[in-house]
Amino acid sequence: MLKKFTSVRFILTIGLLLSVAFAAYSIYYKVRYWGFDFAPKKSTAVWTIEAQINFIPNGEPIKVSLATPKVSKEYKILDEDAVAEGYEISKDTKENRIVLTSGPRTEKQQLYYRILLFDNEDGRGKIPAPVPSNPEKPIFDEQRLAVAKELLELSQKQQGNVPQQVIRLLNQNPPDATVLAFLPMKKSQKDIAEAITNLLALKNVPTRMVRGIKLEENKKSFTPDLMIEAYTEGRWTLYDLKTGKKGLPENFVIIQRGGDSLLDIEGGDDSSIKYSVLKSISSSFNLAQHRAKLANQKTWFDYSIYSLPLAEQNTLKWLMIFPLAILIIVLMRNVVGVQTMGTFTPMLISMALVKTGFWPGLVCFSFIIFIGLLIRALLSRLNLLLVPRISAVVIVVILLMQMLTVFGYQLKIDIASSAVFFPIIITAWIIERASITWEEDGAMNASKEIIFSLLVAVITYFVICNDYIRHIMFAFNELNLVILFIVMLLGTYTGYRLTELKRFSPLAKKG
Amino acid sequence: MFGFGWLKNFASPSELRKAGVLGMNRRNFSVISKCNNRRLYPLVDDKVQTKMLAQKVGITTPNLIGVVEVQNQVKNLLEIVKNYKEFVIKPAHGSGGKGVLVIKSYTETEFVTASGRVLTFSEVYQHISNILSGLYSLGGQYDVALIEELVHFSPIFSEYSYQGVPDVRVIVYKGYPAMSMMRLSTKASGGRANLHQGAVGVGLNIRNGKSLKGVMWNRPIAVHPDTHADLSTLEVPFWREHLLIAAKGYEMTGLGYLGADIVLDEFKGPMMLELNARPGLAIQIANGRGIADILKRIEKSYPKNLTPEERVDFVLKYGGM
Repeated sequence: MLKKFTSVRFILTIGLLLSVAFAAYSIYYKVRYWGFDFAPKKSTAVWTIEAQINFIPNGEPIKVSLATPKVSKEYKILDEDAVAEGYEISKDTKENRIVLTSGPRTEKQQLYYRILLFDNEDGRGKIPAPVPSNPEKPIFDEQRLAVAKELLELSQKQQGNVPQQVIRLLNQNPPDATVLAFLPMKKSQKDIAEAITNLLALKNVPTRMVRGIKLEENKKSFTPDLMIEAYTEGRWTLYDLKTGKKGLPENFVIIQRGGDSLLDIEGGDDSSIKYSVLKSISSSFNLAQHRAKLANQKTWFDYSIYSLPLAEQNTLKWLMIFPLAILIIVLMRNVVGVQTMGTFTPMLISMALVKTGFWPGLVCFSFIIFIGLLIRALLSRLNLLLVPRISAVVIVVILLMQMLTVFGYQLKIDIASSAVFFPIIITAWIIERASITWEEDGAMNASKEIIFSLLVAVITYFVICNDYIRHIMFAFNELNLVILFIVMLLGTYTGYRLTELKRFSPLAKKG
Repeated sequence: MFGFGWLKNFASPSELRKAGVLGMNRRNFSVISKCNNRRLYPLVDDKVQTKMLAQKVGITTPNLIGVVEVQNQVKNLLEIVKNYKEFVIKPAHGSGGKGVLVIKSYTETEFVTASGRVLTFSEVYQHISNILSGLYSLGGQYDVALIEELVHFSPIFSEYSYQGVPDVRVIVYKGYPAMSMMRLSTKASGGRANLHQGAVGVGLNIRNGKSLKGVMWNRPIAVHPDTHADLSTLEVPFWREHLLIAAKGYEMTGLGYLGADIVLDEFKGPMMLELNARPGLAIQIANGRGIADILKRIEKSYPKNLTPEERVDFVLKYGGM
């Protein structure tokens, strides 16, 4: 009996050592050739902006023209490339556009454009701009012109310079009656920008729309933000559409200025464009490709997760942290001996907490469980059969989430709207399990189980939210292989659990 | 309060190892997964199968009156039990006494339970339906309902138990009874005989069935908390028969590590209630000693290839060493 299981342990130990050796070499390689860092560096961030263009060809020759970021100021281009097989790629540097051309095609097209930018700390120069001519006056009917004039009058009561006054008036809350006459109730960014352009044109202030991207970590599938630039006191100044704040916001990259469109497609219909932004795991990730190129190690890089499209990288970055969370669960159950509800329930709760934020999630979750238990107690009086009863609990949980979200929105409590992130079935199952434990083993045991499950979830949460740990698990993903062997080795752990040291303490033989 | 006084509640791993305490990890890894083939679990998880097997090897179990397998048989209940004045309804895949309904007397419309509650026919009907839909079964899967003859537990134990049926749990390793205890229900345990629910466990000397010590909630206890009976005078009669039933469980199922639950019927003697392929570890606390040493000795130095009778005689002489 003993021999057999030492041999299992022996094999696993060898596996562990091999995986450690592999990880060590791989980490060395990544640091040496790809320049990866152990710490998630913030100062020299490299941003990757990726645009995904979709369209359906209409049989004509295709020409796709996309506005690309203007990077003369705060950001420098590290690299840019387009993934478009069979397309001819050319750059229009004057207009800052990339042009992809191809003969007629039949299938739905999906093209990628990717640009790598990094902070250019000494690039604080100004863009020389020609003095613009006076703007064209908007064509308004008499009534609308009167409203516009009244607005300009009113705006003088606001603070700031002329553009700021106009912006602030339009954003006043609650809106002025005159503003309502000028702008639709549900105004989009574009509506506001157009209104500002028109109003300022009446005052002979030239403006232009600016589209750009706020660089934030892990943004997926969004459309660019809109800002407005006005020419006052002899230069162009950027204004925030909501607050009227002057100047370029932090971490903002301008993609396109003026009335030109973001994306022009000839020979295609139903086009759409989605952007993704990834702040590099360390500045080194995106430099890595270049370093790899230089060191003639590009092939390996192509087969690593860091060469994938950004959306996939973001998903993987999220996935790569789970083996560690699983390891924690194994440790808590088999080494500490904590009884939780279901094996991976705490991990799922901690995942939800990441999405909801810590305190809001915890409050919300406790509320759902508490109310759920009350309702489950009522259900148990009806003596329902098992499957219909659990199904009823699931429906109750869905209704609770709906209620919390609506109330949260109306009362402007962000906490409540996070309810939707909790896995419904898991939550219902926790309620069912807790109420059965309650009936059979008493309230004490039931609350103990819930509290222990939450405790494990909270520990897991803090591990998977730690920037360093996340960075290391993604940058050095071979560590997951090491975790795999540790988990398997723990499967042969036959020592006492921590809780058993207490449970069996009356039996202890001293000395 | 702020020191390390609370650490006194913990034993060190070496102290437990010295005491031969079997931990959960070692039970799962080195005992259960080595001795108990998963294929054999259904034999003990399904009480109908267990009963059939028990009859084959000549172990007494409560007589089976009938089985209700599908919903539309439920209405035949009165037809099934017509020759019996009293009976027990239980789920075939239940555990820990869940879903057990004891009927002491009945008419065509009314049923009186052991605790004196009066149920209508439709309430009993509903209870059986619940069993069939898997309300009490292990994984919630569809189940069948057993209707059994009532066990008249021996009056010698009545002063030791608050409601419920007191039973003897014997751990059997490779066919040898290794450790045993009596489980007595209390008010705190709600009439159930599960130690983690607050039942009293009384460790029994494996050689003679006499009380060693009593525990409740993991702590030593001298008298039953509700009946105040002195636990140290407890002695299980027909001890050899008890051990024989447990030992035969090995031949019956092939499980190398099992827990046998045995009740003493006033008229028919010891009967097997059920077998368990994953018996818990609390029995060590009730016995005031670890079980690992005993298992090791059974493995190493107990004779092999004996009949159940020979094994029981061996245990009565040398057991617990």
